[in-house]
Amino acid sequence: MSETTLKPQASYAVLGLFDTPDALMQAIPKARAAQLGAVEAYTPYPIHGIDEALGHRKSPLGGMVLVMGVLGALTAFGFQYWISAVDYPIITGGKAANSWEAFIPIMFEVTVLFSTFTAGLGMLLLLNKLPFFGHPVLSSKAITGITRDRYALAIEAESDSFNAEAAAQALKDAGAAAVEALPAPDRSPFLTSDYILRTLGGIFVACVVAGLAIFFAIKWFPLMRPMVNMQDQPRLNAQKASAFFKDGHGMQQPVAGTVARGHLPTATGTQDASASLINPLPRTPEVFAVGKKAYHNRCEVCHGALGNGMGSLTSAYGGKPANLQSQQFRDYPDGKIYWAIVNGKNSMPSHAPYLSESERWSVVHYVRALQRAQNAKDEDLKVAP
Amino acid sequence: MRTDAAHAGAIPEALLEPALTEGRVTPGSLDDQVLAFPETKPPRQWYFGLAVTLSAMFVGLACIGYTFYKGIGAWGNTSPVFWAFDIINFVFWVGIGHAGTLISAILFLFRKRWRNAIARFAEAMTIFAVICAVIFPLIHVGRPWLAYWLFPYPNQRALWTNFRSPLLWDVFAVNTYFSVSLMFWYLGLIPDIASMRDRTTSKLRKTIYTVLAVGWRGAATHWQHYEKAYLLLAGLATGLVLSVHSVVSFDFATSVVPGWHMTIFPPYFVAGAIFAGFAMVVMVLVVVRETMQLKNLITMRHLDVMNKVILSMSCIMGYSYMMEGFTAWYSQNEFLHHGFKNIISGTYGWAGWVTISCNIFIPQILWFKKARASYFWMIFVAIGVTVGMWFERFVIIVISLHQDYLPSAWRIYKPTLTDFGILLGTFGIFFTLVLIFARVLPVIATTEVKAILPDAQPSHHGDDHHV
Repeated sequence: MSETTLKPQASYAVLGLFDTPDALMQAIPKARAAQLGAVEAYTPYPIHGIDEALGHRKSPLGGMVLVMGVLGALTAFGFQYWISAVDYPIITGGKAANSWEAFIPIMFEVTVLFSTFTAGLGMLLLLNKLPFFGHPVLSSKAITGITRDRYALAIEAESDSFNAEAAAQALKDAGAAAVEALPAPDRSPFLTSDYILRTLGGIFVACVVAGLAIFFAIKWFPLMRPMVNMQDQPRLNAQKASAFFKDGHGMQQPVAGTVARGHLPTATGTQDASASLINPLPRTPEVFAVGKKAYHNRCEVCHGALGNGMGSLTSAYGGKPANLQSQQFRDYPDGKIYWAIVNGKNSMPSHAPYLSESERWSVVHYVRALQRAQNAKDEDLKVAP
Repeated sequence: MRTDAAHAGAIPEALLEPALTEGRVTPGSLDDQVLAFPETKPPRQWYFGLAVTLSAMFVGLACIGYTFYKGIGAWGNTSPVFWAFDIINFVFWVGIGHAGTLISAILFLFRKRWRNAIARFAEAMTIFAVICAVIFPLIHVGRPWLAYWLFPYPNQRALWTNFRSPLLWDVFAVNTYFSVSLMFWYLGLIPDIASMRDRTTSKLRKTIYTVLAVGWRGAATHWQHYEKAYLLLAGLATGLVLSVHSVVSFDFATSVVPGWHMTIFPPYFVAGAIFAGFAMVVMVLVVVRETMQLKNLITMRHLDVMNKVILSMSCIMGYSYMMEGFTAWYSQNEFLHHGFKNIISGTYGWAGWVTISCNIFIPQILWFKKARASYFWMIFVAIGVTVGMWFERFVIIVISLHQDYLPSAWRIYKPTLTDFGILLGTFGIFFTLVLIFARVLPVIATTEVKAILPDAQPSHHGDDHHV
């Protein structure tokens, strides 16, 4: 690392190496005074006062960060305001849609985010123009010292008339322990770097691998059923077996003596004892409508539409249902008809499970209406005044 | 250095800056000492440690896998304790990270030069802790494949996020915190990686370091912008670190649950975070210092100063706990009364006393200088603080939730084995990353330490600049 390396060829720069920061600092003014080219220092860590000695201007990074920070705050405010107050106004906690106080935390975070990326990436990419793998200093012999414990001063070529010999001499005169000429790169330094090519190759391989992984993940993942306990609920389905009950059935019989609402079997004694029961329902068109519907559904199939015992089942099976139009039943008190509906009589089963309390009494009213319609008297034909 | 000597007569010895290194350290010897680790074969103990931490990590991953298969029902969370281990662990790990940012950013702004030797490790621990922390919000949403719904982006559902929700503030705060910490850490690493690039002989390592060092060449113009960026980042990270745990505390403080709805929560959470983080840093640094032969760089004075920070934070925690009791009494609010009684005497009263003992009583040992200089006592305190701070979040979350306004909704919370497995797993992930970091990257910011070595700065500038 001395004159032997100084060949007469196009040089990028000449490096002088120093052992102490003091020696470097003393050499800087001398190298600058020689006016052979641009002077730059390379050090393992920041040296105090070197910026003034090299005549650097103040770093513009602070201003950039301030601008981007303010931009971050405004972006976050505008974004939140537009979403919360304009595009998707939702009242939360009784606050007005445009109350801005709640936007402050995110404004702060976005400000810091913008500022940080400006400071970090702005410094690296914009101001220092990194990543850059092809700089001649990186391929110099001196670089192992520069990033360790040596301090280098470079006089860099600014034109074709750069005199490497003179620059080396100037650095030696300034106290350099050794000098090294850095040849100018043949091509654009960026392209000479095989590292960047390897990096790009690596990124390409990574993309292919990631693409395949995503392809198979998307292909196979939907077949899996993650978090199944949202779907498998411990619920009893109708007509399904269940291990929960001893008999293995999902559906169970009601407890003995269970009575559904409105289905109280109120006429429990003998039919004669029920004769004193009084129909609690008024004779209104609504009650007759309920009675008519219930009669059609439950009674008509045997007792017939007119109540004369000529239902459709009668002819088919030969039963003998009661003729409700006969004198015997026309003389029945309401209570005895009611008792027959609740308890059943002869072949007629109990209708208590199917007809509610009020439906039974409505049917009684309707039967009375049928009897009167078939045995109408003259005064029934008179129109009410 | 000279400054200390010049003022030694006027300033009491206790107020002087601690000696930054012990013995003779030169830039070259520093590189040989610190940057040699990645080039040498790890000792057997390292493999043993890695086996232990990896096992813990796989237990955790298996439990997370079981959670994915089974659903959140695999955990003990149930009405009314809908937040339990998941949020406890999240708050715990985010808090651990805060020490790193405090050391790297706030102490940088205060020009505490001793922080240079430990900043790198603390920053790395910040990043690893935040990685452990973000696992929990992701898995506790129940449908992790829809976690991206947390971000406000235009979508076909025509829905936007609710910017009045502290949970959304959390998304922004934690993401920003992770990005900023990573940026800060990486920028600090670049010159060190450049040193490793230029000293390694292995071709593979050289390629990796070359890419990672982005062609750093130590030019004075670069250093100028670099220092400015570092200063700005330190300032930004300072505000950020105070905001992150404040925002985390908003998750609780903006609700109406008795025991959560308190104005003291943001500063109380930040102090607790720094407290727990410093304990973790002390624990790890003691091990690093002993096993990696870094005693001359991470000195007993470092540990002494960090123990003092732990002690002062412990006092702040004590004040906060007393304030909780005072608020419960002074508010004359029967729900707060009941909540505070639960902390000291309810079903989970033991957890309350573990918290108070570990966080308030045990660290008081550090008033003694001998305790601050003794591995046994500082590790004892550090483990106590770690346990205590985990239980503090348990107290805040589970005790407050399990009995709130409506007695008919009260229920006792019981964690499952899966809960413990995931907690163990995050410790495994954390220490696995710490172990790997210790072997592949410089554990001490050599560039920053070089800059504060004796004779590192030109003599006619030495006094004006860094005092």
